[in-house]
Amino acid sequence: MYRFLRLPILLVGLFLAVGSYADTQPALTTEDSLGPEVQQPIEFPHNRHTALRNPSDPANSDPLKGGMEIDCQYCHTYARRSAVAGIPPLQKCIGCHQSIESVRNKPRIVELFKYWDAKKPVPWKKVNDLPDFVRFNHERHIKRFVEQQNRPTQEACGYCHGDVKKMTVARRQKTLSMGWCASCHEKQHPVVAAGGTPVGNQAYWYGFQKPSEKPGAEVKAQGPNDCWQCHK
Amino acid sequence: MIDSGSIKQLAGHPIDRRDFLKVLGWSGAAVALSGCGNTSVEDGKETVVSYVEANDYMIPGVGVYYNSTCAQCDAGCSINGRVREGRVLKLEGNPDSGINKGKMCGLGQAGVQDHYNPDRVREPLLRNGAKGETITWEKAYALIAEKLNGVKGEEIAFLSGGVSGHLKVLLGNYLDSIGSKNHFVYEALSPAGVRAANLKSYGVALPRYRLDKAKVVLSFGADFLGSWISPMHFSQQYAQFRKGADGQRGVLIQVESKMSLTGANADRWLVVKPGTEGVLALGIIHALGTASGEIAELVKAYDRVTVSKATGVSVSQIDKIAALLKLRSPSLVLAGSAVEGYAHGAQNAIAINLLNHVLGNVGKTIEAPVAVPFPQLAPSVGNTASLKALNDGLAAGRYKVMFSYATNPVFTAPGAFKFKDSMAKAGFKVAFAHYLDETALQADLVLPLDSALEDWGTQIPEYLADGMQLNIQQPLMEKLHANTRSMGDILLALVKQRRVEDYKGFEDYYAYLRSSLLQNKGALGAGGSDDDNFWNEALTKGILKIASSAAMLSDRAAASGLQLPKAEEVDAKFPMHFIPGVTASMRDGRHANQPWLQESPDPLTTIVWDSWVEIHPKKAFELGIAEGDIVEVTSKTGSIKAQAYLFSGIHPEAVSVPLGRGHEALGRYAKGFGVNPFGILDAVYDKETGELAMHETRVSIKKTGARVLIVKDEGAAGGLQMGRKIAVSKTTDQVDLSEEV
Repeated sequence: MYRFLRLPILLVGLFLAVGSYADTQPALTTEDSLGPEVQQPIEFPHNRHTALRNPSDPANSDPLKGGMEIDCQYCHTYARRSAVAGIPPLQKCIGCHQSIESVRNKPRIVELFKYWDAKKPVPWKKVNDLPDFVRFNHERHIKRFVEQQNRPTQEACGYCHGDVKKMTVARRQKTLSMGWCASCHEKQHPVVAAGGTPVGNQAYWYGFQKPSEKPGAEVKAQGPNDCWQCHK
Repeated sequence: MIDSGSIKQLAGHPIDRRDFLKVLGWSGAAVALSGCGNTSVEDGKETVVSYVEANDYMIPGVGVYYNSTCAQCDAGCSINGRVREGRVLKLEGNPDSGINKGKMCGLGQAGVQDHYNPDRVREPLLRNGAKGETITWEKAYALIAEKLNGVKGEEIAFLSGGVSGHLKVLLGNYLDSIGSKNHFVYEALSPAGVRAANLKSYGVALPRYRLDKAKVVLSFGADFLGSWISPMHFSQQYAQFRKGADGQRGVLIQVESKMSLTGANADRWLVVKPGTEGVLALGIIHALGTASGEIAELVKAYDRVTVSKATGVSVSQIDKIAALLKLRSPSLVLAGSAVEGYAHGAQNAIAINLLNHVLGNVGKTIEAPVAVPFPQLAPSVGNTASLKALNDGLAAGRYKVMFSYATNPVFTAPGAFKFKDSMAKAGFKVAFAHYLDETALQADLVLPLDSALEDWGTQIPEYLADGMQLNIQQPLMEKLHANTRSMGDILLALVKQRRVEDYKGFEDYYAYLRSSLLQNKGALGAGGSDDDNFWNEALTKGILKIASSAAMLSDRAAASGLQLPKAEEVDAKFPMHFIPGVTASMRDGRHANQPWLQESPDPLTTIVWDSWVEIHPKKAFELGIAEGDIVEVTSKTGSIKAQAYLFSGIHPEAVSVPLGRGHEALGRYAKGFGVNPFGILDAVYDKETGELAMHETRVSIKKTGARVLIVKDEGAAGGLQMGRKIAVSKTTDQVDLSEEV
């Protein structure tokens, strides 16, 4: 008699166990693909650091408070060297701010220096996270779009991270789901651009996709579409 | 959720393969339906901690590598640890080391689990009744000073495992400062009998064995691929030996009573009656017929027939071995840890060593070891005679204060010692410990130590495989727990209590280490170089290679006075020999709380997470024992119960239980798994060296009636899939391994 029972009991148990776990998870994305608003220990103004100096830029409502036009890679220096972009060391913030007297007494900067004096890292909250079974490599995307194709850093980073010129605290801008990643990997991207590093046949093994070669036309290739490129 | 009722139902009615596949399929579908989504995404919740100040080479996601020294055993392999985001992740061998040459064993790999172990002691603990009370380090140090106040030097005992390098110097100075000469260096599994025999045979305790130069290796119970002396080094020599010098592949013959990992790799494996290895060696000398003088006189009585009768090795096998040894030269004969475990253990080993003299191997495959140029740093090697001395002293109530470091005698002392009771007689017991092991639990004060991956140190291995080297141990990452201390720092603090003037210049053990090495940099082969350069280079390489001369090797055979006992009477009450098994991963059990070691299958039986009793199928049949039967193994001293495993690689008159498991403390992965064979060992000693004769215990075995399914990788557990044969199979009782090759 038990023989009949034990299978259903196990299955019901499994459903309940997995179901109850899944229920507690937040919704994947909001309608507009935005991630949750995240409270950070210090409200870091991305717009202030990255927006253009040009006062006519619509990102700057106050022309006197123009952006600093700092390249993303100045602070997120690990993105081009590692799979993960990392968070800039506190030392990086202080490196500039110790000589910017004009904002030294602003509350956020005072807070920043408190961490520095205590030699403690700022406990930033993660904004862009991927499941543990996905390996996204920043370095390869920077190499592909910034170095080979000579696209501006903000544009290349912005493919995934959105327009940081318009953000204070960063917020997830895209779903970062597999379908979304694949939608870009399916596209034909130019392989070489003026001023970029010519790659020639390298693009073939680089993307595991043979570039399309129409005489006279721009050489284009797709992103990799092997499962193990991300799931390894 | 699955409630416990349904689990019991399942347990009572084993699932068959069909049901299992059904469940697997359905549960896969269940996960696919309900678990779809980014269940591990934690944006907005997880904290990302950046560096405050980062060096240029520190890149998140990219590993940095540091060299250090493995502390899992005494072989002294150099390691290279991968550190990412400030955490050590993986250890590999350091290719620059002459000992392990970039390779590493499973025991060493598990070193990270020693470091991250959840059961590490984290605070100094003072006994309060049955409990340990957290106290500060200041109080702990003050307490030690107070307890030592007015206590004479001879009333203090310091027990430790093998120590070398600057820690040994500091320990010696501390003992000197408190006027104590009672340093007991104890290793439960040390080749002490072989050392004593070698001193007589070759004039050195451990010569350099050159397996790579030998064409035949005849090993008497030396598990050099598993756990003997320097297994990583020997494994590489073994690879060379197997490749052969001039196209001639080396032949390995292993003679032992219980098959070891090395035995399993041998071309010819010979089972020998326990304790008669020396007799066989003399029989082979006799069969060779090349000996002269004293040795010829000695082996006269050991003709093939007599020897065959005494050892159980057939006459034809003896002839084959002798013929092979004559044919191929040089050869190498090893006396390993299995031969020294008898009351005549050292004599056994000396008899075996004689073969090397007769075959002319001394100077060819037995080479002189290098001399350690700094005797004060040379290793103090452990033995078991020292434990007996300590135990006798403790039992007589001679010691008021006892220190214990890097050893766990309450677990590893033979049951006959009743060490726990003896230890209770010491007035105040201090244990320097990584875990609350059995010994630390008996202590009054437990001082938590840094893990080997957090600590500074220097080490000189006993077996210097490839020239003199001083191994550097350095932290691979920051300390995990704020209140653990380095053993060096503790000793420095203690010695400052007595000799503050001499040591006030050293803020910590690191400063002491650095300045001592810099003072001697000339002798360390870096006379002209800048201090910082020298130090940085030493840390970068993790090894200081030092020019050194070779010790003297004696080629005079030590045949005089050699006496091997006649066959003994079988005790009807305890008819079986008991062989404590030494496995490559468990050894004496100090690392039993590292789950990788518990879960990696024993290479010969594939059993995991438990102890077993190896018993020959013929004997098992005689006694009506089947695999999985719980049998009771009883000696004069005590008894243990474990699952029977039918194993053709053991002498029919012997049973073996592996050492290392059966902890009552130590941690969650060790406590309660298996049984502890140390507990049933009788106190029998080697007549010559006073070392414990570990193989001299006699036992009886009895079925208890209970039976379990053995958890093992080998074969089909539970037998439901049995009958699927891939190759032609034979039942184990029909296999005679000595005829297989």
